[in-house]
Amino acid sequence: MRTGFPVSPADANLRWQDSASSLGERSAYKKVWDRQAQDLDVASLAVAGHTDEATLDLSARAFIDQLRATAGIDPDDVVLEIGCGIGRVGKPLSQECLHWFGADISQGMLGHAADRLRQRPNTTLVELATVGLQEFPRDAFDLVYCTIVFMHLFEWDRYRYVEEAFRVLRPGGRCYFDNFPLDSAHGWNVFTEGARYPLDRRPAHISMASTREELGIYLKKAGFVEVKVHDLPNELIAATGRKPT
Amino acid sequence: MNPSPDDPSLRLAALQAELEEVKRREAAFRVNMVQEFLDRGERNTYVHTLHEQRAALIKRGQEASADLEQLTRKLESEGERAAALEAELGRIKGSWAWRLCALFRGDDRKAAPRAPSPVAAPGAGRSTVEGAVFTYYLHTSPFRIYRDASFTLRGWAWPQDGGAITAVRVNLSGREFIGRCGIEEPEVIARYGPQPANPQPGFEITFDTPPGRQALSLEAQIGGLEWRSIMRTSVWCEPDSR
Repeated sequence: MRTGFPVSPADANLRWQDSASSLGERSAYKKVWDRQAQDLDVASLAVAGHTDEATLDLSARAFIDQLRATAGIDPDDVVLEIGCGIGRVGKPLSQECLHWFGADISQGMLGHAADRLRQRPNTTLVELATVGLQEFPRDAFDLVYCTIVFMHLFEWDRYRYVEEAFRVLRPGGRCYFDNFPLDSAHGWNVFTEGARYPLDRRPAHISMASTREELGIYLKKAGFVEVKVHDLPNELIAATGRKPT
Repeated sequence: MNPSPDDPSLRLAALQAELEEVKRREAAFRVNMVQEFLDRGERNTYVHTLHEQRAALIKRGQEASADLEQLTRKLESEGERAAALEAELGRIKGSWAWRLCALFRGDDRKAAPRAPSPVAAPGAGRSTVEGAVFTYYLHTSPFRIYRDASFTLRGWAWPQDGGAITAVRVNLSGREFIGRCGIEEPEVIARYGPQPANPQPGFEITFDTPPGRQALSLEAQIGGLEWRSIMRTSVWCEPDSR
């Protein structure tokens, strides 16, 4: 038990709704996501949609399978996750790579991640000061990925992270970025749900779709080669690419 | 049959293993490079700027406390000197020669010996415990003018002879106030190294500050037995602003 009082999922849902910032603050990512990191249940709902550890682990392992199939994972890889949140993916992925770095703009989220990754010595958590990866050196990583993050970012910031991934990857390094597309049943549902919000009550973290063209263009403009856009089984799309050697 | 050492497939496997090892070492080097970059990177962040500002403010506070301590010590020294002079004057005025001279000074009515002024002897009211050499620091400096009805002294300490502090107290002009010890001070341990007898050297003691001049002695009990003084000073407690 992490807290001194029992927490039901319904309570967590209410507190999650209370933690939402308004859409006008969408660019204030640090503030928006720190508010959603008030406790682990709210943070888990915000980043993964559920709170129990078993489901978090299952969803993380499903993602790792996707990552392996699209970008590849090597046991000697030095890996960076952009927007690692509570370390959902980092916890199992750190067992399959040499070292896993998790970067997030929210100090609160990283606090939860630190608790969850205490037994993983080959992990490092880094708080990002703002949009970008200026905390990291160039040519350092074998694999940079970003999952379930782009839907919460403005397009300019999505591209900023793609550009930065290119900088911090070593020559030959691989990248992976995903989002939900508008032209899937799930994507259209998310879109119409968002449209139903009253104008003045749209939350800052509201999910916004990408198109295949958008993701592909980001990677190509940033300099990646062998760019591919994948349709994933969970109705997401993912763009992968390689930094030229 | 054992394969020959010249077997090309064996040599290829050995080369492959060597290549894998080089690849692994290169990846480990990059991990270290990122870690070092992260360590250095703090210099350029807003967080580091705040850390520096905090350190500068703490330094200014420490300098102000040191000035106040120096001033307090000077006042104590001057007070003791004044008391000694007063006592000397009392002795002179009580002497035979002074009384004889009084006839010539025309103040024979005042020639009767006067009792010395009731000046407190240096150290009066202080604890009688023995002093000892402590390594200590006080987060809330006692060198101040006390304006509230009570004050909490916080700090850390350990005796340099390796004894274990089992209790702390403040003796204020004879009144004793027991405090709390065994508080964690991770930064102090990180700087001075492990203190086996005092792994948690922090303490805090709240004591009343009745108006007037008081003798303050901060004391520690060693090994559950003797009390030793860590530091002593006079303090002034304002009567007006309560």
